[in-house]
Amino acid sequence: MTATLSSQGYDQAAFDELLAGLDEPGWMTDRRRDAFQAFCDTPWPSSKDEEWMRTDIRLFKLDQFAKPADPASSPANPGLLTQGVDLGGHVQSVDGDLVSEELSDSLAAKGVLFGGMQRMIAEHGDKLRPAIERDIVCPKYDRFAMLNAAFWTCGAVLYVPKGVAIEEPLHALSVLGAEKSADLSRTLVVLEDGAEATLLAETASASPDAAGLHCGAIELIVGAGAKLRYVNLQNWNNKVWHFAHQKAVVGKQGQLQWTIGALGAKLAKVNQHVALEGSDAEAQVNGAMFTQGRQHLTYNTHQHHEAPYCRSDLLYKTALQDKSRTVWRGMIKVDKPAQRTDAYQRNDNLMLSEHSRADSIPGLEIEADDVRCTHGSTSGKVDESQIFYAMTRGYTRKEAVRMIVSGFFQQIFDRITIESVREALGEAIGQRVQDLSNQ
Amino acid sequence: MSFHSVGSVDEFPDPSSTLVEVDDRAVALIHAAGHFYAIDDVCTHDGGPLSDGPIDAEAKTIACPRHGAKFDLKSGAALTMPATKPTVAHEVKVEDGQVLVRLSD
Ligand code: FES
Repeated sequence: MTATLSSQGYDQAAFDELLAGLDEPGWMTDRRRDAFQAFCDTPWPSSKDEEWMRTDIRLFKLDQFAKPADPASSPANPGLLTQGVDLGGHVQSVDGDLVSEELSDSLAAKGVLFGGMQRMIAEHGDKLRPAIERDIVCPKYDRFAMLNAAFWTCGAVLYVPKGVAIEEPLHALSVLGAEKSADLSRTLVVLEDGAEATLLAETASASPDAAGLHCGAIELIVGAGAKLRYVNLQNWNNKVWHFAHQKAVVGKQGQLQWTIGALGAKLAKVNQHVALEGSDAEAQVNGAMFTQGRQHLTYNTHQHHEAPYCRSDLLYKTALQDKSRTVWRGMIKVDKPAQRTDAYQRNDNLMLSEHSRADSIPGLEIEADDVRCTHGSTSGKVDESQIFYAMTRGYTRKEAVRMIVSGFFQQIFDRITIESVREALGEAIGQRVQDLSNQ
Repeated sequence: MSFHSVGSVDEFPDPSSTLVEVDDRAVALIHAAGHFYAIDDVCTHDGGPLSDGPIDAEAKTIACPRHGAKFDLKSGAALTMPATKPTVAHEVKVEDGQVLVRLSD
C-alpha cells in the first residue's frame, strides 16, 4: 500500500509512479491530479512576494530531494514527547513511509479513529471525505501547498466522534533518516461536537547531518463545544528545509490550545492559521523558538475572528544564538460580524549573540467596531549583569545562560498544561544552549 | 576554509553579478572592470538579493534592488542608508580559468 518514489524529481513520471502504487479512493486521486496540474503551472514564490521577502529560498532545489527507494529502519528513539506519558495510541513514519501505528482497544471501541493517513482514507474515506473537502489548508495556496497536495505519502488522522472525551494523549512522530530524503506529510484532526483530545506531534532527524526536505500540511477541525490540545515540536536537524501550512478552525464554544516548539530546520517557513468560526470560540497559541548557527525560521501567524464573542491569545517567544535569524509576522483579522472580539498577539525575542537577528511584524485588520485587539513585541539582549551575578553565586557561565533562557521561556511553559510536554521542551532547549563566551 | 570553484571565468561576463552557492551559502559573484568580487548575497538592511542589483564598476559598488543601499564590492562595507552594517566579503581568485571563492567566516 505504501508507494515508493524511486525516480528523482517531481515530474509527470514520478507522479504517475506514485499514483500506480497507491490504494485510495478515486476522489482523492482526483484531488491529487488537480493539485499536480496546478503545481506544474505555478512558479515558486519569489522574494518579491511580500510573504517571502525575508525568507530566501533561492538555494532550495526540490529535485535534490526524493522519497528514498529503500525503506529506512524505524527510529530507535520513540520521541521526546512520549516520555512519562501513558499514550492512547501512536503513529510513526520514517522518510515518508508509515512504520507503525496503534490505538488502544478502549478508544477504538468508542469510535475513535487514529492511524496513518493512507490507511485511514482507504478504510474510512467516506467518513473523512467531508472534512478533507473543506480544504482547511487551501491545496493551491502556493507551490509548496500544491506539492504536498499532489505528492503526500504519509501523515496521521485523528477522528473523535461526538461527545467522546479522550484522556490519554495520542502521539505522532515523523522522522527523516536517509540523506536527501523528502517527507511530504499531512495531518488531519477532526473533533466532532463536544469531543476532547490531546495530540502530541513531533518531527525529528535520525542523523544530525543528513540534509532533508519536509513539506507538510496540518488541518485541525474543532467542532462546537469541542476541546483540542495540539502540540507540535519541530526538531529536525539543521540541514532540513521545512515548509508547512497549518490551519485550525474552531466551532461555536470550541477551545483550542496549540503549542509550537520550533527548534530545528535549516530554513523554515510556516504559516500557522487559526480561524474562530463559531461564536464564543477560543484559541490559545503558544510558540517557543530557539535558533542557532545559521538557522532561519519564519513563522506567519494568522488569527482570524469570523464570529462574535471569540477570544484568541497568541504568545511567541524566541531565543536566538550565533548568526541565526527569525521572522515572525502576525496578523489579527476581525471580520465585520465578529463583534466583541478579544484578541491578543505578542512576540518576544531574546538575542543571545551580536549577530543574530529577529524581525517582528505584527498586524491588525479590523472591520468590526466593538473589539479589543492588542499586540506587543519586545527584543532584548541577554543581560550580562545577570550572568555575572549568577556566576558570583557559583554557577558556570553556561549554567547562568541556561537559567536566563529558561526564565525567558517560563511564561510559555506556564501556559503549557501538559507536564511532560513542558519538560520535554525545556530539556530540548537546554540542550541547545551553548556557552556564550565562545561567541 | 578552502577555496571552492564556482565556475569557469567565461561563465561570468564583465560586467555581471551572479548568485553562486558556496558551501550552502548564497554568495554574489561580481565581475566588474576586470575584477572578481564575492560578497554575501543578502542585504544587511532587510535581506534583499544583492546580486539582482545594479553594479557601478568604477565606484566598485553594488546597490540593493530593494531599497537602494550601496555596498563596497571589496570590503562589503555599507556605504549608504538604509543599510548600516557591512555584508561579508569573501576572498576570490582565478586559477586555470576557474573562479575560486573562499568564505571568510
Ligand atoms: S533590503 Fe537592501 S536596502 Fe533594504
